[in-house]
Amino acid sequence: MLTSESGTSTAEFRPGSGLERWAERHLRFLMLAPTVLILLGLTIFPSVYMFYAAVHKISPNPDLPWEFVGAGNFARLLSDAQFHVALWNTTIFTVVAVATEFLLGLGLALLLDKFIRRLTFLKTVLMIPMMLPPIAVAITWKLIYEPQFGVLNEIMFRLGLPLQAWAGDVNLAMFSIIVADVWQWTPFIFLLMLAGLASLPVEPYEAAALDGASSWQQFRDLTLPFLKPVIAIALLLRVMDALRLFDLVFILTGGGPADRTKVLSLYIYQVAYRFADPGYAAAMSLFVLFVTIILSTWFMKRMRLAD
Amino acid sequence: MTMAKTIHARSRTKEVLIRLSAYLTILVALVVTLFPIYWIASNSFKFDIDIFAVPPEWLPVNPTLKHYDQAFIQRPFLRYALNSFLVAVGTTMVSVTFGTMAGYALARFSYPWQWRKQISFWILSTRMMPPIVSIIPLYLFFNYFDMLNTKSALIVAYTAFNLPFATWMMKSYFQDLPVELEEAAIVDGDTRWGAFLHVALPLARPGLAATAIFCLIISWNEFLLSLIITLTEQSQTLPIGIAGRVTQYNTYWGEISAAGFMACVPIVIFAFIVQKHLVRGLSLGAVKG
Repeated sequence: MLTSESGTSTAEFRPGSGLERWAERHLRFLMLAPTVLILLGLTIFPSVYMFYAAVHKISPNPDLPWEFVGAGNFARLLSDAQFHVALWNTTIFTVVAVATEFLLGLGLALLLDKFIRRLTFLKTVLMIPMMLPPIAVAITWKLIYEPQFGVLNEIMFRLGLPLQAWAGDVNLAMFSIIVADVWQWTPFIFLLMLAGLASLPVEPYEAAALDGASSWQQFRDLTLPFLKPVIAIALLLRVMDALRLFDLVFILTGGGPADRTKVLSLYIYQVAYRFADPGYAAAMSLFVLFVTIILSTWFMKRMRLAD
Repeated sequence: MTMAKTIHARSRTKEVLIRLSAYLTILVALVVTLFPIYWIASNSFKFDIDIFAVPPEWLPVNPTLKHYDQAFIQRPFLRYALNSFLVAVGTTMVSVTFGTMAGYALARFSYPWQWRKQISFWILSTRMMPPIVSIIPLYLFFNYFDMLNTKSALIVAYTAFNLPFATWMMKSYFQDLPVELEEAAIVDGDTRWGAFLHVALPLARPGLAATAIFCLIISWNEFLLSLIITLTEQSQTLPIGIAGRVTQYNTYWGEISAAGFMACVPIVIFAFIVQKHLVRGLSLGAVKG
């Protein structure tokens, strides 16, 4: 009964089975194809176009032809003081913000994991900032930093500290951007670390406790090595995002004061749209792309993350 | 005897102190996390004159819905929110569908000439491209196909960022699932595709949920691409609508606070509904590396 049913049905009599069998045989390519095609279309075209644009001087007037300048746009990078400022600002921002987020996120995750493990509700509350639209975050902090009626200056006043212009102050603007970014993205590190801590094995800790290892020793010799892959992914994702910081700066400072918060994305945006020089913007974009790819490839190889 | 007791008591006091300072730190973290959200919410219910009050009003003494009326009735923020929603859902559907198939393929099948590793890495590397890099060509691309100011253009653009992410999340998920169950299904007469659909997919549900959640949040929040691709009310998303009220001459704080708070609310509600998947999804999949 069973044999005759499976023997006669599906394969032989169903119409279109030829196509189905073909699809089944090539399933490994068919399942991959849409993603590969979409990404090819959406990345190859922009990349080729960027290379093409980067070696041309493009006039804001669409009727004028593009003028071939070879490596000219790239040579400009070397002597463009604004570009150097933007590069420096991006570096400072990335290093300070990501390091702070990492330390705070890991610390908080360890604390919660040790002292209040079961309160998922509390964990979710602490994760809220990373889910909010960055633009809403930027507006919120703009309101808090407002020099005249902002709440931060009210707190400073109550504590008897000097009032500041925060996002408008030459020395504090980058600090203000970093604080807002840390507020939004520490929860992301926190979430990844919590997930990592939740999957730690128990046995090594029991053995370590028997051997009389202190909590610090346990952390250094067990927790940190176990968390290494999670830490690597968290840092990689955060650095990649920090390198393309835009929203916060766009709303909070617009790059000022005195270019102190002008980061690469913002400068490229200004060059492309305000100064209408897309060729040069393309050259800068390629530079950013290369730096990002080189950094992350190096990092992934070092951390053995690929496959 | 007494000495042992003293030592015991001392270590207990120490234990209590450590516990207290841990709770205190967590409390501070909670206050710092929640205060800015409270502040924008509170300001959205104040009259302009109370927003500018010095010293600030910690609570809206004279609450009003004026700014909500302004943002959602007088101005098209509801339209922006609907656009954001449609774009986020569209992007998530496309990215999760294709990303899941590609992730499964990369986790389960073998390819000639080490393709698997190469393709995996290439797919991830497309995620590294800073949006600012692809904006100018994408703009021209959409211009050429007459797609500027459409929601489809935004869905296409956002898919470029979400698809690699979805593929990698799902790939690490399927790698963690035991392959034997699918093999058993095939032995029982199911096709390869059937085994994926009926066996692997249901098992990967937490991974699917986590991936979809992240795609939704990323698309709902995106700003830069939308800023450049859309200029009309029919296509602009909520973040652009909000940013548009910070002008060179005036910042409409009340209205912005109302719209900003309303942009946060659905995401926060959503986060609480799916919180289980969020942590579990990450701890099972992507994080393992």
